[in-house]
Amino acid sequence: MILQIFSTFLKIGFLGFGGGYAMLSLIFEEASKFGMTVSQFADLNALDVLIPGPIAINSATYVGQIYGGFWGALASTFAVSMPSLIFVLAFMQYEGRINNNGYLKAALTSVKAASVGLIFAVALSIMLSTTFDMANLFDWQNHRFDFLSLAILIAAFVLHMRCNINPIALTLLAGIIGWLCYFI
Amino acid sequence: MKKNLILLKVYLLAGAFTFSGGMAMLPVIERELCEKRSLIDKESLYEYAALSQTFPGVIALTNACFVGKKINGAGGMFFAGAGAILPAYILMSIATLLYQLLPQQGPMLSALVAVRATSAAFLFAVAYTIAKYNLKAKVNIIIALICFIFTLLNLIGAPVLILLSALAGVLIYTGKDKK
Repeated sequence: MILQIFSTFLKIGFLGFGGGYAMLSLIFEEASKFGMTVSQFADLNALDVLIPGPIAINSATYVGQIYGGFWGALASTFAVSMPSLIFVLAFMQYEGRINNNGYLKAALTSVKAASVGLIFAVALSIMLSTTFDMANLFDWQNHRFDFLSLAILIAAFVLHMRCNINPIALTLLAGIIGWLCYFI
Repeated sequence: MKKNLILLKVYLLAGAFTFSGGMAMLPVIERELCEKRSLIDKESLYEYAALSQTFPGVIALTNACFVGKKINGAGGMFFAGAGAILPAYILMSIATLLYQLLPQQGPMLSALVAVRATSAAFLFAVAYTIAKYNLKAKVNIIIALICFIFTLLNLIGAPVLILLSALAGVLIYTGKDKK
């Protein structure tokens, strides 16, 4: 298991262009092979907001911890960190040749575009799971609409984008509202 | 040795107090390493930050490794890198352990459902922001749409889509180059 976690996060690291959020879609897909649910993944995103540090490290630690305990977390964090060490050492050797390479820039621009689509898809999966209780898009017959979670989703989006309210505050506030609503 | 300890301390500090992503670390690093201690100049720091984004992996860590290597060789790289990772690793390990203890029922589940809704909202916000700054050319919009649809319908995995997109970018660039 530990070895599997290590190789999975090594793969995620080397394919993870464009930073933590772009990596999330990879993590979402790979972690579901370990049995991670959409809810657990949504909770991971919430913890990413609440806990300081790079998102990729946070996410790797979380998945590793859940499926392999202490050693799992250590393996996943170490694995996801490997590309940085390798590329920095390699770059210092061949400085200049990689810099200003048109092909590399073109590839990165496309990967960035791809990440937009991938992140949107992940966001929609979480939305389907929380507000409609659907496992995936083809599960429409079994949907169960949850008004509260849709209201919170929209409110959080608007308050974050329009009013620039801190995501940490919004996450905690949502938790309190959800907690209170149970008693209504 | 003293430089290594400074790097470790500065990156631990930056890692422990910056939320949602590694690039938020930069102002702290700039203040500590450029202004207070003049170990590296601002131009180099931001040049490395831009460069880090072109490599796969954890951008904040790649940046820390570059800065550490520049200031104090392989040792500096190790200490800066460790500093950048450790707070996230330790705090997240503890947070995950506590999270696993949460009862998934009753009022706690109700709170978690609300929190999950915000997590969808923030991901939509991130995707929107990246789209706003990067989806200017028509071909990029098409790539984004294809990735969105194929992921949603569960047709092609994310790793393959990422590699295909990179390939498409290179091919388009090659096409333009010849004209």
